[in-house]
Amino acid sequence: MPKPVIASVGASALGRTDLPGRDLFSVALAEAFDELPDPADLVEAVYVGNQSESYEHQIMYGTLLAEWAGLRHVPAERVEGCAAAGALALRHAVKDVRNGEHEAVLACGVEKMTAAGTSGATDALSAAFDRAIEQRSGITAPSQYALLAKRYLHETNATEHDLAEIAVKNHANAARNPRAQFPKEIDVATVLESDPIAPPLKLYDCAPVGDGAAAILVTTAELADDLDRPQVRVAGSGASANNIAVAERDMTDIAGARIAAETAYEEAGIDATDVDFAEVHDAFTVCEALLAEAAGFAPAGTGYQSYQSPAERADGWTDVQLSPSGGLKARGHPIGATGLLQALEAYEQLTGAAGDRAVEGAETALLLNEGGVADAVTVGHVLTTAEAP
Amino acid sequence: MTDGDLDAADPRTLPGFFDALADGELLGGVCADCGQVLLPPRPACYGCGSRAVDVEPRSREGQVFSYTEVHTPPPAFEADAPYTVAVVELADGGRLLGRVAADYADVAIGASVELTVHEPTAAEREVALDYETDWPVHIFEPR
Repeated sequence: MPKPVIASVGASALGRTDLPGRDLFSVALAEAFDELPDPADLVEAVYVGNQSESYEHQIMYGTLLAEWAGLRHVPAERVEGCAAAGALALRHAVKDVRNGEHEAVLACGVEKMTAAGTSGATDALSAAFDRAIEQRSGITAPSQYALLAKRYLHETNATEHDLAEIAVKNHANAARNPRAQFPKEIDVATVLESDPIAPPLKLYDCAPVGDGAAAILVTTAELADDLDRPQVRVAGSGASANNIAVAERDMTDIAGARIAAETAYEEAGIDATDVDFAEVHDAFTVCEALLAEAAGFAPAGTGYQSYQSPAERADGWTDVQLSPSGGLKARGHPIGATGLLQALEAYEQLTGAAGDRAVEGAETALLLNEGGVADAVTVGHVLTTAEAP
Repeated sequence: MTDGDLDAADPRTLPGFFDALADGELLGGVCADCGQVLLPPRPACYGCGSRAVDVEPRSREGQVFSYTEVHTPPPAFEADAPYTVAVVELADGGRLLGRVAADYADVAIGASVELTVHEPTAAEREVALDYETDWPVHIFEPR
């Protein structure tokens, strides 16, 4: 079976931009193909992660971005899974390469969230919840995650201060990431004193609204060699849906994420202790705590220690580092592009292009990208430069 | 697999569920094979995959499992903010999300509540889809 690798990556600026979605994509694509032949000479299929047509009143993003890349008459489709759309697009590309259908597939993602203002984004994101019960009760993304956070703080020793420390850690990481939407350090008081959004979550517990696009070229290892590209092997891929309604799930054991991670580990022939760093879906600070546990990095109830150094954490923690990019919280969270921005960070880390935020000696990463609330759908990928076991 | 005869009177569809709820009856699905409670009822059990789902009236009483207060509402709910939302564990099993008719400060995990329903207000009808126009809106009252 061909071995799928990531052979190149690119991204647009993240945050409030003056470019529409297709143009953000063009910027990301130009970076990804800077040292490559034109897309028309390489790319055989296109998958586009995109959350919502309510920002730009535009569906058919597969067709549109293929055309804007100079491609016609290739399979092209938009992939929808709210904030997991990006990793779902990556997963489709990986499978196409692995099963021998294509040698080079473009996985990209785009979201133009600022086009509809804050209330437009709130409304667009609420479409990810169960319509019959949840949407009609006036729930929002922050308040859904606040229900998880309230329960997590109730069941564990974690405090709002711990959640604030996760935001502080991710901002410190983003301060060393030139791609970050918020490349600045903050302190705990700033988080704790920020506006209430949905208690216990405050403004600085929340990932921002922002625009962005990312493009990831997935190829066979042989083609990446021929192109003389640094390559990172996609050693494992897993995905799992869970109930759409938060109320019907276990709210502190994020089972969908656990299954996605375990499936990816199993395919890669590794376990959680082999992971040097992870990019996890910290749409809200509490997510990082929950996902550290779901990924097998932390014993149940201790995931909130993710901001601490490995020596400070509870027994049973691995020495993994979480979200060196700054995470969704501070790197940015342009919904459909987020899963691909996670892959971009891992590619840069594993090919020695992460500058002074490099995780020393890292060779294996886990990516966890979620859509809907928490694990309504989760996609996990293991990326590595280690030899196949 | 059966269920070919599902229609809008069947409580395993949303119209059937909300018709009963409008009369004050909360219907839940209960899996005949594994006992999983399904709110609202549906044709298949997510716990075990069985399609043997019984539909039964359920207690409207329960306890707050988790809760929060919405400060940044969707556009349709702006006039109501801030408001309290909770996940409620019902007395005879299953959990349901809904608004709580109490200030955030007056709610706690474990607090007793009871599900009530009201006809949609003019504002709620305005944001309803055509087929939702007459569906009742549920809200938990403190007990």
